[in-house]
Amino acid sequence: MRNTRPWLLRRKGMTILLGLVLVAGGCGGDAPDSTAITATTAAAQEATTTAAPEAPTTTAAEPVEEEAAPTTTEAMVEKPLIVASLADTPNLIELHTFRTTSAYAVTNAVYEPLIKQILEEQPNGLLQGSFVDHVGAGAESFDIQETADGGFLATFNIRQGQTFADGTAVTANDYKYVFDRSIEGPGYIGLLLPFVGISSTDQIRVIDDYTFEVETTVQSPLFRRFLTFQVFGAMNRAEAEANATEDDPWAFAYYNDKGGGSGPYYVAKFDPDNEVVLEPNPGYWNAGNLANAGVIIKPIPDANEKTRLVSAGEIDVATGIPPKLLAVLEDDPNVTIWASQTTGVHYLAMNQTIAPLDNVDLRRAIVHSVPYQALIDNVMFGFASPAKGVVTSNMETHDASIGAGFAQDLDAARKYLEASGVGDLTLVLGVRESRLGDQEAAVLIQDALRQVGVAVDVQILPDGDFSARINANELPLFIHDWFSWGEDPFYQMKFLTTCGQFVNYARFCDEAYDALVQEGTFTTDPEVRGDVSSRAQQIFFDQAVWAPLWSSDRTAVTHKCVTGVVQDYTRIPVFTQMSKIPDC
Amino acid sequence: MWRYLGKRLLVSVGTVAGIVVVVFFIMRVLPGDAAAVRAGPYASEEKLEQIRDQFGLNDPMPVQFVDYLRDVITGDLGTSIRTGGEVTGELLHRLPASLELAFYSVLLAALFGIPMGILAAWRRDTWIDRAARVIAVLGSSMAFFWLGLILTFVFFFKLGWFPGPVGRLAITTQSPDTITGFFTFDAALGGNWSLMWEAFRYLALPALTVGFVLSAPILKIVRSSMIEVLDSEYVRTARAFGVPRRQVLFRDGFRNALVPVTTAIGIIFGYMLGGNIIVELIFAWPGVGRYAYEALRVSDLEALQGFVIMVGLLYILLNVVIDFVYSWVDPRIRLGQRVVV
Repeated sequence: MRNTRPWLLRRKGMTILLGLVLVAGGCGGDAPDSTAITATTAAAQEATTTAAPEAPTTTAAEPVEEEAAPTTTEAMVEKPLIVASLADTPNLIELHTFRTTSAYAVTNAVYEPLIKQILEEQPNGLLQGSFVDHVGAGAESFDIQETADGGFLATFNIRQGQTFADGTAVTANDYKYVFDRSIEGPGYIGLLLPFVGISSTDQIRVIDDYTFEVETTVQSPLFRRFLTFQVFGAMNRAEAEANATEDDPWAFAYYNDKGGGSGPYYVAKFDPDNEVVLEPNPGYWNAGNLANAGVIIKPIPDANEKTRLVSAGEIDVATGIPPKLLAVLEDDPNVTIWASQTTGVHYLAMNQTIAPLDNVDLRRAIVHSVPYQALIDNVMFGFASPAKGVVTSNMETHDASIGAGFAQDLDAARKYLEASGVGDLTLVLGVRESRLGDQEAAVLIQDALRQVGVAVDVQILPDGDFSARINANELPLFIHDWFSWGEDPFYQMKFLTTCGQFVNYARFCDEAYDALVQEGTFTTDPEVRGDVSSRAQQIFFDQAVWAPLWSSDRTAVTHKCVTGVVQDYTRIPVFTQMSKIPDC
Repeated sequence: MWRYLGKRLLVSVGTVAGIVVVVFFIMRVLPGDAAAVRAGPYASEEKLEQIRDQFGLNDPMPVQFVDYLRDVITGDLGTSIRTGGEVTGELLHRLPASLELAFYSVLLAALFGIPMGILAAWRRDTWIDRAARVIAVLGSSMAFFWLGLILTFVFFFKLGWFPGPVGRLAITTQSPDTITGFFTFDAALGGNWSLMWEAFRYLALPALTVGFVLSAPILKIVRSSMIEVLDSEYVRTARAFGVPRRQVLFRDGFRNALVPVTTAIGIIFGYMLGGNIIVELIFAWPGVGRYAYEALRVSDLEALQGFVIMVGLLYILLNVVIDFVYSWVDPRIRLGQRVVV
């Protein structure tokens, strides 16, 4: 006879415990609405805190010269190490592969473009990148001339004496390499270059070791801004070619976890879930004027913990803090919130290939139902401005008279709905699981549409599923967002709303609109740009392509002792000026 | 014993094969398009196709399956579409962090749950028993994320007794040379006692968070097993013969209650093997749970497959270990032998 008692005991124990553990696991496994929890705990803090101090101010916006920083040996010894926790976890740092925001921050610190924005100090101490004024970076000087063929010829004199972190000298060949790689490599940058009239490596020429030319076929106002982007920063050609393979001739795999630039920092450690360590590149042309002794990027996934760490001074700067938490932090005397308006856009897209959203009156009804101000007040907690169109309210050429039409008017919405002839309607509204703000906005939109007689089924989808479904035209309504590096209105219109563009998720297509965007894209005359932009904006409004919800502010939270926060037209964090007030 | 191990190996191979097949097909029916996430917002349809080709996502399902099987057999769990890195290496790099947290969490849970369960059974229906039951209910109903947030708020932010949730060590501290992957062990093996202390301090709050929640099932099973044993005739007889109380409790009572307790701890440890996603997120713990979460968010199939297979293998290994522990705690259980009485 089998000795069954221990066996039975074991089975019984297993069954009971499996149940218990599953219950315990279920309790812990629910996705938390972590922001709500912090609101409670931060409210408890409120009783013990005093008013936040004002950030240091200056009287007028002034250009900031990096050379103005202290250069003595003593000052260098005292430079602080900066600890940053950014919006997400760096995934890979290959320069021409699409990656997470914090991975872009790493590459921004590692690669040095030819020119860069001049920084202007704002009254609150923020260093704001200029839209129009640029200064040499990897290039000591540059000259851009119009060509007889209607393009630009840009000549750059590369700085001598600058090196990559391994000591290799930076030459024009390294800049040529990065442009060639953009055009011919498997990355995504090649798709953008035609926008400034570059499509062939023949347009990129090395004159000698320290002279380099780029010739464009069109005169795009964005050309200079493009040249400031990190994706055109010098890349160590010798290293890249040594690590290229037959299957991977541009060494993309090699650079997934390595930096190959000549910028202010080099990647000393890349352990993405744990930390990324950036140390000063001794061969950087302006190494003596870095305001800090290096940067550690520490991914802290939970925004509540991240803000506590900033408040406690364990982290110097944090980005990616939800607006609800920012609102709570305004009362924390240990932190400074840096916010500036942007031209980015959060929008409610209506896929026009999916009935009944091919009905323009229905789309107009939706556009007039959205509670725009309530979203800014209750979802963004004031850390946003009204978008008012695809050319957003803070963007050059924005037409405020047209933008004013994007306002909640439920009576008008009901009339449009009646005119559409659509009844008994339920629409699916998709939002991304990772975007808590979008989910909250969806609920407010759902409520507003219910008031005019449109039922909405809000579906929270994993990011991968969301992407798949909008690409496959399976979501009729969804909330998406966009930010154009360089903040150019025609670039934004071109990608988001012209026929056949992959990211035109609303699948709007209008030939007259496309012609206007095309005209504005390649003209530098401000009057012409303003005029064609207004006409395009009018079409966008009349066709009710989207409901433009808001333009998020650029935000960063720093410990009160941190200075030198830079916000430029790429929205990517910049560390070079960041420092700490001594004995603070 | 060898016969047992041979049988166990055969069963394990079958189990692993089952896991591999199930995981492959489940991953294929999950919604999402990792290629779209990897390609980013500027992607064209051509670019997406290129990425799908690169990662073999366009191949027919049987071809994908054969490639996948071949790679798994050679220990290659594929390439993460999110990071571009080798999944096997990425998992092995993160696994020690999760195992160390699991080890100390289960240790804390056992150190608290077992004595508390024994005491509750011994002092049944007294205030001690009632307190133990309240603790067990609290632990069972407590969500990891809530407890974690409260512990960090109170003990880090308000009182400053413990360090902030920044991972396994202070931000500027260099990790010890890797020997076991457990920072506490490696620091001790390297004779760096201050680093070992620091590693313990950073472990404290996450291990307390998990340990408290996990102590509840241990406490309950120890209590109920002990009550059953203490009510048995042989224990009553022993007590009637005047056997000392401590001997009755630990030699006759607890020893006989150990099998279900071992089962409980084994299941709990197995549950923790895959990392605790929520706790790893709250405490910025660089473990496999967080890796799996990031992979799931962007439909990184290869990374997810690798994670599930790794956890499956660890679970099988753990079960073999538990079987050996059974034979140690209860000599009546003989591995691989049919016991006839």
